[in-house]
Amino acid sequence: MELIFGLITGVLFGILLQRSEVIRYDRQLGALLLQDMTIVKFMLTTILVGMVGVYLLVDLGLAKLAVKPLILGGTVLGGLIFGAGWGLLGYCPGTSGGALGEGRLDALAGIAGMLVGAGLFAEAYPLLKTTVLTWGDYGKLTLPQLMGQHRWVLIPWFCVLGYAFLRWLHKRGL
Amino acid sequence: MTASTRAKPWNPYIAGALAGLLLVLSVWITGKYFGASTTFVRAAGMVEQTVAAERVAAMPYFKKEAPKVDWQWMFVVGIVLGSCAASVASGTFRVQAVPDRFAARFGPGTGKRFGVAFLGGAVAMFGARLADG
Repeated sequence: MELIFGLITGVLFGILLQRSEVIRYDRQLGALLLQDMTIVKFMLTTILVGMVGVYLLVDLGLAKLAVKPLILGGTVLGGLIFGAGWGLLGYCPGTSGGALGEGRLDALAGIAGMLVGAGLFAEAYPLLKTTVLTWGDYGKLTLPQLMGQHRWVLIPWFCVLGYAFLRWLHKRGL
Repeated sequence: MTASTRAKPWNPYIAGALAGLLLVLSVWITGKYFGASTTFVRAAGMVEQTVAAERVAAMPYFKKEAPKVDWQWMFVVGIVLGSCAASVASGTFRVQAVPDRFAARFGPGTGKRFGVAFLGGAVAMFGARLADG
């Protein structure tokens, strides 16, 4: 049953990704070059709606947060490495599947590369776990915890800041 | 004319908000948050299992992320199918080996594009897993 829900959710998400063109190489490179902010508009809107909805569910006792640990070594180094690879490939892991679905064959080469990258990471994991992944480990941390504020004090501010940022992008024609 | 109107992209704010609602529904109904990169680890493990099953079974990372089909695996398969259906229905499905922007800058060579995409994919996935993304 869980697998069927995964498939249905993926199909709906794939339709949204494809019809808003955020899975296109040209759009992803456009975002990295700060020329076309379509994917930033999509992602930020998703994050804001998701933030409000998920915290409502949590407060109603209908869902649990899935917080990942903040490990600066892994997040900062991994982010830099991911960014370099993303710039070369022009698709991220989820969107490479979407790009393949709309006929982009270069996504297949990217997917093959990602399988190799995943395999290499699995090889390196025992070493990384005792080195990089111990640097700056703050455990599971949320922004409300970090800032010492109640989440419903911060959430309206994030919404206002997100809206202001999107308006700014819009005015600059990005 | 028909083709261009049918191919008009959806507003990214509306599509993004719908994706947010989809995420909230998913968390509510199944408790699952969206992600994709763990699936590539599981798939890599499944491929490696075909040649070295015992080695895979002994590797700590494949113990952490077992090589099996789970919710997220089907989510990623769904993205491929959903994108395929949406592109065919809207007339925007197009078989293309080299993206326009890449071809304009680096030439139309398929080998060069595939090489860069493969390398980029390997680097991006290593970074994504290191950042636990």
